[in-house]
Amino acid sequence: MNRTAPHPLLAPSGHHLLRLGRYSLLLHRRSMAIALILGLLLIAVATAILAAGDDTLTPWKALQAALGQGDALQVFLIQELRLPRLIAGLLSGAALGAAGCLLQTLARNRLATPGVIGIDNGATAFAVASIVAVPTSLAPSALALSGAATAAVLTFALAAGGGARGYRFIVVGIAIGALFGALTNLMLARSDMDAANAAYPWTVGSLNARPADSVLLLGIGLAAGLPLAKLLANALSLMRFSDSVAIGLGVRLQRMRLLTLALCVWLTALAVAVVGPVGLIALAAPEMARHLCNRHGVPVFNAALSGALMMILADWLGRTLLAPIEIPVGIITSVVGGPYLLWILLRQAPRSST
Amino acid sequence: MTLLSSLLGDTRQPDVRLEARDLSMGYAQTTIIDDLNLLIPSGQVTAIVGPNGCGKSTLLAGLARLHKPSAGQVLLDGKVIGSLPSRDVARRLALLPQDASAPDGLTVSELIRFGRQPHQSLLRQWSEEDQAIVEAALVAADLVDLADRPLESMSGGQRQRAWIAMAIAQATPLLLLDEPTSALDLGHQIEVFELIRQLAAAGKTVVMVVHDLSSACRYADHLIAMHQGHIVASGTPQEIVTPELVEHLYGVRCTLLRDPLSGTPVIAGVSKLT
Repeated sequence: MNRTAPHPLLAPSGHHLLRLGRYSLLLHRRSMAIALILGLLLIAVATAILAAGDDTLTPWKALQAALGQGDALQVFLIQELRLPRLIAGLLSGAALGAAGCLLQTLARNRLATPGVIGIDNGATAFAVASIVAVPTSLAPSALALSGAATAAVLTFALAAGGGARGYRFIVVGIAIGALFGALTNLMLARSDMDAANAAYPWTVGSLNARPADSVLLLGIGLAAGLPLAKLLANALSLMRFSDSVAIGLGVRLQRMRLLTLALCVWLTALAVAVVGPVGLIALAAPEMARHLCNRHGVPVFNAALSGALMMILADWLGRTLLAPIEIPVGIITSVVGGPYLLWILLRQAPRSST
Repeated sequence: MTLLSSLLGDTRQPDVRLEARDLSMGYAQTTIIDDLNLLIPSGQVTAIVGPNGCGKSTLLAGLARLHKPSAGQVLLDGKVIGSLPSRDVARRLALLPQDASAPDGLTVSELIRFGRQPHQSLLRQWSEEDQAIVEAALVAADLVDLADRPLESMSGGQRQRAWIAMAIAQATPLLLLDEPTSALDLGHQIEVFELIRQLAAAGKTVVMVVHDLSSACRYADHLIAMHQGHIVASGTPQEIVTPELVEHLYGVRCTLLRDPLSGTPVIAGVSKLT
């Protein structure tokens, strides 16, 4: 087809156009700028957190030590103590932020996050069971994954008919979450003190001494999951329309929903295996990303960055606020994130869709 | 009109053929469409009419592959529509459903750009063709001055034109509209119907579900009259619309007049059967 365009090709307003021959990419300017700012902020905060502590280093020294240079004691302090915790926080925050954004889009409801739908609790219950009830040699990640998948499948099956839309899905999800939550408490109540103590971080969410192999798995899962979410971005943005519009524009809705849910379960479970149920990140991070991006599209990537930032800040607060007593990160996110979320929800009160 | 034809004319694919064969549709135990056969005449405006609950919206949903048939099939160019890749169908058939809703804050031009989605891909997100067609759709729906307005700030008529513009931007030879003028006042109804006539003049095949029989007669070339899941009559309005048909469909008595402008039937003097 040989069309003479009335005007030279311009990017739609607010976008930047990259072209190479027949190929073209549209980049949303504001989303890109926000990603850049969040990224820089993340690096700055992460460096500051690495440097701060009982033995405060200069940021430069801290970075050098992270790379294995400098004083042996400092290298040990950074590489063995502070860095693993920081990485666990960054990865789990990013995974929870992205997972929340995916599920909210799927359900077209801002309340529908993995924590609310019961996926977090499912993962936790299985992980706690492995510690107190039926000790297995399976990694917590595998157990969390099967728990999360069980909760998601149960929620979906019991909400059948209503699909992944509307309050039926959410109400069923809350019930499933409560069920798994009760199961976790029951197991803790019936187990001896030592086992209950070992399982405690799982129930509130903490970044203290997380298993290294779970963190590694989460890193791999995130490296696979985030690009996949980016690939689905177009279809995801169409899922924000009513079903019939999305189908009319060529989205294979059933398949897309399944894929989105699977991705969300995957990211949530791997994150919960590391940090426990810090569900509020999945609720607040996408909210923050959407707000920053002027509600443009489905900001999975910016939600991941926001989640990572929130997680490491909350963990840092928890360690310093009442030092030397450490407050688990899950409690901090609830105390700080709850009011923040309320503020956002109340500020744009009448509109409820994403 | 000439602008539309010149801008959209050459994106048109060869005529498409949309038909239903022995089509039945329904939910669980309820049959809504019962063993129905039809062929949509190409290049014309077809209106599906009938009383509430006669199955006209269900039929349209079936033709647009939104719902699966319980028996029989819908064929697009001779192939079962459900077996074709959905994006493929979206390049031939555009749909404006009755429950169309968009995310908050979306502007008119953003909405219309979404109409280009079936033609775009991960590495081809914006082209001269996309731009030209989006502009043509804005012009055709008379929305150029409103392009940057958020949808929720617009009147019902403007919003409906924006949705039709999105369907235009899909650049499909076939357009399916479910009650495109419901909830619009008279002036806005005429605006939308005139736009639909322009699209047909530019060579598109249009199928619409219309509530008001007089409007259907005025703006459609071809009528399909449905009653209890069956087609009871089809043909040009002049041919098929009679007081008997109106009585059969709606259970009312009426007199038929001629529209002074178009000569098409107008329903008047309606009274209940006694």
